Amino acid sequence: MTLKNLRPLVVALGTLAIVAACGGGGGGGTTAKETLTIGGFNFSESSILADMYGQALKAKGYTIAYKLNLGSREVVAPALKTGQVDLYPGYAATELEFFNNKKGEAGGDPQANVTKLNTYLSAFGAEALTPSPASDENAFAVTKALATKDNLVKISDLKPVASQLVLGGPPECPTRPYCELGLKSVYGLTFKDFKSLDAGGSLTKGALEKGDIDVGLVFSSDGAVAAKNFVVLQDDKQLEAADNIVPLIRTNKANSEVTSLLNSIDAKLTLVDLTAMNKSADIDKEDPATLATNWLKQHGFSATT
Amino acid sequence: MNLFLDATDPWIRVSYLQNHAADFEADLAEHVELTLIAVLVGLLIALPLGVLIYRRRGLRNPVLGVTGVLYSIPSLALFAFLIPYTGLTYVTAEIGLVGYTILILVRNTVVGLEAVPADVRDAARGMGYRPLKQLLWVELPLALPSIFAGVRIATVTTIGLVTVTALIGEGGLGRLILEGLIRDFKTPLVVGTVLSILLAAVADLGLAGIQRLVMPWSR
Amino acid sequence: MSFLVKVSAWFLDPVHWQGSAGVPNRLLEHVLMAGAATLVAALIALPIGIALGHFGRGGNAAINISNVGRAIPSFAVLVLAFEVVGIGAPPAFIALTLLAIPPIVTNSYVGVKEVDPDVKDAARGMGMRERKILFAVELPLAVPLIMAGIRTSAVQVVATATLAALVAWGGLGRYIIDGFAQQDYVQMFAGAVLVAALAVATELALGAVEFMLVPRGLRESGAAPAGPPQAKAA
Repeated sequence: MTLKNLRPLVVALGTLAIVAACGGGGGGGTTAKETLTIGGFNFSESSILADMYGQALKAKGYTIAYKLNLGSREVVAPALKTGQVDLYPGYAATELEFFNNKKGEAGGDPQANVTKLNTYLSAFGAEALTPSPASDENAFAVTKALATKDNLVKISDLKPVASQLVLGGPPECPTRPYCELGLKSVYGLTFKDFKSLDAGGSLTKGALEKGDIDVGLVFSSDGAVAAKNFVVLQDDKQLEAADNIVPLIRTNKANSEVTSLLNSIDAKLTLVDLTAMNKSADIDKEDPATLATNWLKQHGFSATT
Repeated sequence: MNLFLDATDPWIRVSYLQNHAADFEADLAEHVELTLIAVLVGLLIALPLGVLIYRRRGLRNPVLGVTGVLYSIPSLALFAFLIPYTGLTYVTAEIGLVGYTILILVRNTVVGLEAVPADVRDAARGMGYRPLKQLLWVELPLALPSIFAGVRIATVTTIGLVTVTALIGEGGLGRLILEGLIRDFKTPLVVGTVLSILLAAVADLGLAGIQRLVMPWSR
Repeated sequence: MSFLVKVSAWFLDPVHWQGSAGVPNRLLEHVLMAGAATLVAALIALPIGIALGHFGRGGNAAINISNVGRAIPSFAVLVLAFEVVGIGAPPAFIALTLLAIPPIVTNSYVGVKEVDPDVKDAARGMGMRERKILFAVELPLAVPLIMAGIRTSAVQVVATATLAALVAWGGLGRYIIDGFAQQDYVQMFAGAVLVAALAVATELALGAVEFMLVPRGLRESGAAPAGPPQAKAA
C-alpha cells in the first residue's frame, strides 16, 4: 500500500534527479554532428567492436554514448527498436533469425542474409549495413579428454552419447535456433541437462574445464579455446549460418559519412584479427577499448576514446 | 591453481587502475547519487508516515509488522517485480532502494517518537502547545537520535544494495563487480569492493560526526 | 492485468513443477543451501559470540563485526568467492556462510553480555559454578537475541542465495536470472514471487521459533530485549 502511493512522487523526484544529473553532462557541444548511443552484447568481442565503431566516429566529431555489456540480443534488439540504442555490432544470420521470429531464412550467404534482414529492420526505422568478411558463429566445444574418449570430431558424433552429457551455454540457449533448439532440430540431440552460464564467456569455459558441463557453447572467434585445449566440434550439418559482423543502425543516424566509415572498418576486419583481440581481452584481460584503439590506428583510422 | 600469485590475473593490475581512474570516479559518483536520492526520498516519505502511525495507535503493530516482513524480501526479487512495469531504468532502481530505506526509517521514527517520555509530552501540553507545535518542537527533536540512527543504517544498507542494481543496468560501483564476474577479472572486482566498503565507512563516520555536532547530548 | 494472468498460468503449468528445472527441485536446492550455510555459520559464530559475551571481552570487535559486515556488499562477497573457488555450489556456500556469521556473533555476544548482572550474582550466590551459570542462566535468557541473530542471518542467506544463480548455481534465483536474460518477464516475475515467499516464510517461521523459545517468565513479563537492528545486504 505504501509503495503504490509513493510511485508518482518517486518517479517525479527521480526524473528531477536524472534531469539534473544529465543537464550538467550530456548537453553536448555546439557541433552540428549527431549523438549516437552504441550498444553491445555481454561478451568482450561485442565491446571491442562497439568501441571500434565509437572511437572512429568520435574522431570524426560525433558525440558517442556507450551502453556496453547491456545483455543478450533479447535486451539489445528491443533497445534498437525503441531508439534507446542507435547502433550495435550484429551478426548477420543470428540477427535475421531473431527479427524474423526463427523462420529459418538464414543461409550461408552473408549478403543474402543482410538483404532479408533489412526487410524486417526497415519496419521500425533501422537498417543493416555491409557485412564484414569476418564472422563469428556459435560453436560447440568439448574437452580434449572427452573428445578422445567418445571419439568426437563433429557435432553428429554426439548423437549416441548426448543423453549422458550436460550442455552449457547462455540462459537464452534453449530457445535459440543456433543453440540448443537447433541442436535438437538439425542434429536430433537431446542432452541430459542444460546449465545456464554465459555466452561463451568465462563461466562456460570454466565449467567445461572443471567438468561441470560436457559440451559448451563457445564462439568461433574465441581466442581462449586453443589455449585451453578444447576441441571445437565441426558443424557437419551446417547448423550455424553465416554470422558475419554487420552494424545495425537506426536509419535517422545513418548519414553517408557514418555508413561509409562503419563499412570501411568492417571491410578490413578479419577473423584472425578478431581471434587475436578476443584472446587479449579474455585471457590477458586487456581493455576492449585499448584493443579497439590499437586496431583502428594499425588500419589507418583515427580513434578518439 | 595459485590463487594469490596468478600471473595473468593478479588481484590488482596496476595498468588497469591507471587506465580507468576516470571510470572509477564516474561509478563512485553514480553510487553516491543513487544512495543520496534513496535516503532523502525515503526520509521525506518515512517521517510523515511515521508520525501518522505514531498518532494512530491502532496502525502501529500491523504496519510495523508488515514493514518487517517486506524488509525480508530480497532486492533482486523486488527489482524483478518492478521491471515489467517500470523497465530497466534508474527509476526502477530508485523505487526499490527507496522502498527499503522507508522500511528502516519508518520503524526508527515510530520507535523514536514512542520513546519521548510521557511527562515531557504532558508538560508541553500543559504549557499550551498545540499538537503540531508539540510535534515539531518537542517530540521530533527528542526522537532525532533514533531517526538519525535509522538514517545511518539506511545509508550503509543502501550503499550495499546499490551494487545489486548493476544487474539491471544501473549500479555505481556494482558495475565494477559485475565486470569482474563477466570477464573473470579480479582487478575491477577488488576496486569495486574496496571503494564500496570505504564509501560505507566514510558515510557512517561522517553521519556519526554530524550527529555529534547536531545532537551533542546523544551518543 | 494480463501480465499477472500469464504469471498465474506459469504457476499452473505442470511443466514448471517437474525435473531439475522445476519449482520443487529449485526450492529444495535453495532451502538446503540456505539451511546448511546458516547452520555452519551458527556453529562457528555461536561459540565465539557466547564466549565473548560470557567473559565480557572483545565487545567492540563483536559489535563492530556486524557494522563491518553490513558495509560489505554481499554481491561482492559472492563474486570474490567465485574468483577463488570457481562456479556452482562451492562459492555460493562459502559466500553465504561468511555473510551469515556477523549477525550471529553480534547478537549472541549482546544477548549473553546483557543478562542482568544481578541475576548472575544471585546465581553465584546460590553456589552455581561458572559453566552452570552459562548454560542454566545466561543462555536461556540470551535465547531471544540469539534467535533474532539467527533469523537475521537466515533471511540474508535466502536473499543472497538468489544472487548465487549468477555463478551458475541453481536455486530459485535461477528463474529471475534466466528470465531476465531471455527477456521472459513472466518467468522472472514468477521467480521473484517464489523467492519473496520463501524469504517471508523464513522470517515468519523463525520469528515464531524465537517467540516460542523465549522463557515463559520473560515472555509474560514483556521484558524480552530488542536486539541490534536487522541487516540487509541483498
